[in-house]
Amino acid sequence: MKTKLEQLKTEFLELVEKVTDRQNLERLQTEFLGRKGKLNEVMKDMVELAVEERKLVGKLANEVKEAIEQAFHFQEQKMSQSEVMGQAEREWIDITQPGSFSSEGHLHPVTQAIGEITDIFSHIGFTAVRVPEIDWDYYAFESLNMPKDHPARDDWETFFVDAPEGSGEKEGKLLLTPHTSNSQVRTMETQKPPIRMINIGRCYRRQIDISHVPMFHQFEGLMIDKGVSVTHLKGVLDYFAQTYFGSNRRTRLRPHHFRFTEPSFEVDITCEVCGGNDDGTCRLCKAGWLELGGAGMVHPNVIKAGGLDPDVYTGFAFGWGVERTLMMREGIKIDDIRILYKNDLRFVNQF
Amino acid sequence: MNILISYNWMKEYLETDLSPEEFAKRTTASGNSVEVIDRVAERFAQMVVGDVLEVKTHPNADKLRVAVVDIGAKQVEIVCGGENLSEGQKVVVALPGARVRWHGEGDLIELQETKIRGVESYGMICASAEVGFEKLPAGEKDIWDISVITNAQAGTPIAEALDLDDVIFDIEVTSNRPDCKSVIGQAREGAAVTQDRFTWKATKLKRVEWDAGFSVEVQESSLCPRYTAVVIDGVVVGPSPWWLQKRLLLAGHRPINNLVDITNYILHEYGQPLHTFDADTLEGQKIVVRRALKGETFEALDKKTYELTDEMLVIADAKKPVAVAGVMGGLSTGTTQATTRVVIECAAFDSVSVRRTARALNLYSDSQLLFEKGLSTQALKPALARAVELIKEVAGGEVVSKVFDECAQEYQPLVLPFDDKAANRLMGIELPKKEQIAILKRLGFTIQKNQVAVPYWRDHDIEASVDFVEEIARVYGYDQFPSQLPSGQLPQAFSNPSLVWERRVKHLLASAGLSESYSYSFVSESQLEKYGIDIQTAVKLRNPLNSEQEYMRTSLVPSLLTSIEANQARLPQADIFELAPVYLAQTSAIPKQSLSLVIGSYGTDGEALFVRAKGILERFFRQTGIREYLLERGTDGTRWHAGRSAVITVLGKQVGVIGQVSRRVEQAFGIDVVTVLIDLDFEALLSIFTLGKSYKPLPLFPSVKRDLAFLVQERSEWESISQAVHQSSELLEVFELFDVYRGQGIEEGKKSLAIHLSFRSSERTLEAIEVDAEINKIRQVLEETFGAIMRS
Repeated sequence: MKTKLEQLKTEFLELVEKVTDRQNLERLQTEFLGRKGKLNEVMKDMVELAVEERKLVGKLANEVKEAIEQAFHFQEQKMSQSEVMGQAEREWIDITQPGSFSSEGHLHPVTQAIGEITDIFSHIGFTAVRVPEIDWDYYAFESLNMPKDHPARDDWETFFVDAPEGSGEKEGKLLLTPHTSNSQVRTMETQKPPIRMINIGRCYRRQIDISHVPMFHQFEGLMIDKGVSVTHLKGVLDYFAQTYFGSNRRTRLRPHHFRFTEPSFEVDITCEVCGGNDDGTCRLCKAGWLELGGAGMVHPNVIKAGGLDPDVYTGFAFGWGVERTLMMREGIKIDDIRILYKNDLRFVNQF
Repeated sequence: MNILISYNWMKEYLETDLSPEEFAKRTTASGNSVEVIDRVAERFAQMVVGDVLEVKTHPNADKLRVAVVDIGAKQVEIVCGGENLSEGQKVVVALPGARVRWHGEGDLIELQETKIRGVESYGMICASAEVGFEKLPAGEKDIWDISVITNAQAGTPIAEALDLDDVIFDIEVTSNRPDCKSVIGQAREGAAVTQDRFTWKATKLKRVEWDAGFSVEVQESSLCPRYTAVVIDGVVVGPSPWWLQKRLLLAGHRPINNLVDITNYILHEYGQPLHTFDADTLEGQKIVVRRALKGETFEALDKKTYELTDEMLVIADAKKPVAVAGVMGGLSTGTTQATTRVVIECAAFDSVSVRRTARALNLYSDSQLLFEKGLSTQALKPALARAVELIKEVAGGEVVSKVFDECAQEYQPLVLPFDDKAANRLMGIELPKKEQIAILKRLGFTIQKNQVAVPYWRDHDIEASVDFVEEIARVYGYDQFPSQLPSGQLPQAFSNPSLVWERRVKHLLASAGLSESYSYSFVSESQLEKYGIDIQTAVKLRNPLNSEQEYMRTSLVPSLLTSIEANQARLPQADIFELAPVYLAQTSAIPKQSLSLVIGSYGTDGEALFVRAKGILERFFRQTGIREYLLERGTDGTRWHAGRSAVITVLGKQVGVIGQVSRRVEQAFGIDVVTVLIDLDFEALLSIFTLGKSYKPLPLFPSVKRDLAFLVQERSEWESISQAVHQSSELLEVFELFDVYRGQGIEEGKKSLAIHLSFRSSERTLEAIEVDAEINKIRQVLEETFGAIMRS
């Protein structure tokens, strides 16, 4: 019986080597190990053996069974591997061919920047408002501490509407807003402090050349509350600069002059190319700094024009160009900014 | 406005040891932004004084000569085209390696030893324009003869020989600080920031009692609060000495003659405009400051004649205007080579008046720019005294009159209350009062108790106590301020729905594969007319940049069609959209400004494009929660293709149009492709948009699917077929058109429709026999109502 078992094992090991497909492999396994298989056939003789011998043969039978199973699995694994290889061969495709999916849409880069800026300020409680782009002189200039004939008005190359002047107290000439700051008094008229407002809108100035377009965008921030100070303005500007441009960037306030803020600043940010360490050779900046835009503490006269008491409330405001901010971050080198509004699909479809 | 400031010049009034870089850094941080630091000597690197020893003809060129030049270490030959070149001259020799501006034009070029027309030339003998002094008077083909301005030995570096070892700061001056548009103003500011010593003292004139037969009368003291003048006799007009010319050149001025140069010098040093009249040309030997007579004419120094109005202030003699006050002097009374007796005017004019006059005449000058910023009446005497001092030194002559001084009222300095605690509150820091006051004092303010007197040079820009905060903060230094996010209560403000939906819709259209178009809000009259828009409804600009941008658009369609026209040759097919405000003129109110949405698909097949656009519209409506809408024929036939367009109605309200644009519109805009547009009143949809979703429980039983294909008349509309079929079968869940076929095998005037149908019951699994019965009902409706012929 021992011999029979050994023979069984040898026979299987020889046969299994020759099997090439899964079907025959499984048939072979059933032939040997199945319920009516060869192994069980041999084992039927067990009952005739003495107890002592039965133990020994039993052990041997188990060893044979294990050997057969092992050989079977080994063969099966070999077969799987070659099947996978075969599939890879048969179903080879060119993975370098271009992908295809539904057509891709494109948002204008300015739209994308506006969305991002809105989100950044919304996280610190600034809610977006919409105010008229064609507005009265009162909101664009007069209420911003710029009386008629003030030379500061020349800083904005303003478009005027060909229409009669409004006679109301808060009217005057009708114009295309040259900045987004008309939102300051308009917001103070409709909201109560504490105010945290962001206005991102279209502005218009009579300038057109490679770095100016007559229609552009600004984002205007305004915060009015009790106890608002320069340090808060610094905090908000740093927060924006670091969120939008990167946490390694620093800002500085450079004293400047605007009629509607006091004190007033230009805000500069460290240059990304030289990291703020320009030795006169940086291709992007002057002395390590790039100009972001204007800011300041809201002038008491503006707070008054908004119907609030400047002895109780203080605030800050800032107004920056969206296009400029966008180009500064992306490092997009646009030689001629006018391409932004030419609607050349070859341009827009790059964004 | 920017000013070029020579560090050497400034140091005459500021004792400082700071390097130019360090000074620039500090003064920038306090508000006088230094944009460029220009080391003048570096411009003259590799340039030396040369003595022209001999001038020889050039063997191969008539207009060139060969100069033998002593450059100190050796003698060299230089080819030169200068017409005034002669032996014995001292000249500027640019050696190989020097950087020059060839003929005063273009970029700087580094010189190399070269052959010119076959003759070796060791460098170049320069014209003044070639070394950066374009404004120095010179003959067009002359080299710069420096014999008269230096006797330095051959070989001496030019920077040393011509005293050009200076640093020029290009400083941005804010419009409220005309006092900083001067050397003294910058020195004063610099001293306040660096705490170095400011040494300027006002010059005083010797007292003279007599009037030299001359008189000054101010008739309009509100427009001319102070007028001072003095008569000087015996001047000799001629070129200024090099030190004066050099300072003007480095400051960006053009040297002309000594008298004019001195007024420019004072303008630059003091920030105070002066004017010099030839006293002998003034009729009646008098100055009258008055309003111009209506229609009076005046020939200015620019040789143009201006017609004046009675709103303009002029300086006149007994008969005629001799200057437009603060703007420009007259041609006939200006100084010439022959002038010997002059009246120096130093006056203060009303800034608004100067500004209005300049604009009305379209006449601008350096003086006018300063006057319209607002200058103090107290700045006159020191400037006049300094001018007299310089004239005597440079042009000779003697003061022959008293200083005429017509002053409307005694000067009272502006005094404002000062509150150090309020300043700290606004700054957000704790700066001791002592330190705050020290800063104000360094800037020239005087303090008594809590009252601050404003120095005269700031009497136009300081208006209120809050202005002191800026003075303190900027000198203290903003870099020392901490940065902190505001805490405190958050406002209760709600997002503006138009902003929220504008953003959402832009994103969903881009996700659907459309590209965003972004046009100017401006359109031309022709763009409006091409689309049949009444220009009366549009906002018109009074001062457009050009006729292309004369109106504000009342519709986005003309802009979109214009951009399709521009793109059609580049891309044969595209889907684009624009979502932006449009503007409608209103009488005595600001224009109506509302959002509009226009979507355009262009290509070649009109029907396919319509279906494509409709797919975009359906998707847009689905994603904005608009479930019910109607498309009905009956659009404006002049704008739209009548067979391929429909009015869009939502909740009974017309909100827009979808359709192929008419041939007329295509032609008007030069469009060669087929264009289907969706023009929507976005503002009207705002109240209907919703993010709300409805939910139907998922079906419990399976559906049964079938297909049908049948022929119907070409004009049978899908919407009516679908409605009738749905009404005929309660178990029908989906009736979906998946193919429309015309052509081979199909009778003319008919089309074959292929449909997926799906049946389902919410109560049980449907048996095949039930579905067959439903199909029969549907066939019957199709055949009887629509004359359909079944194909399967």
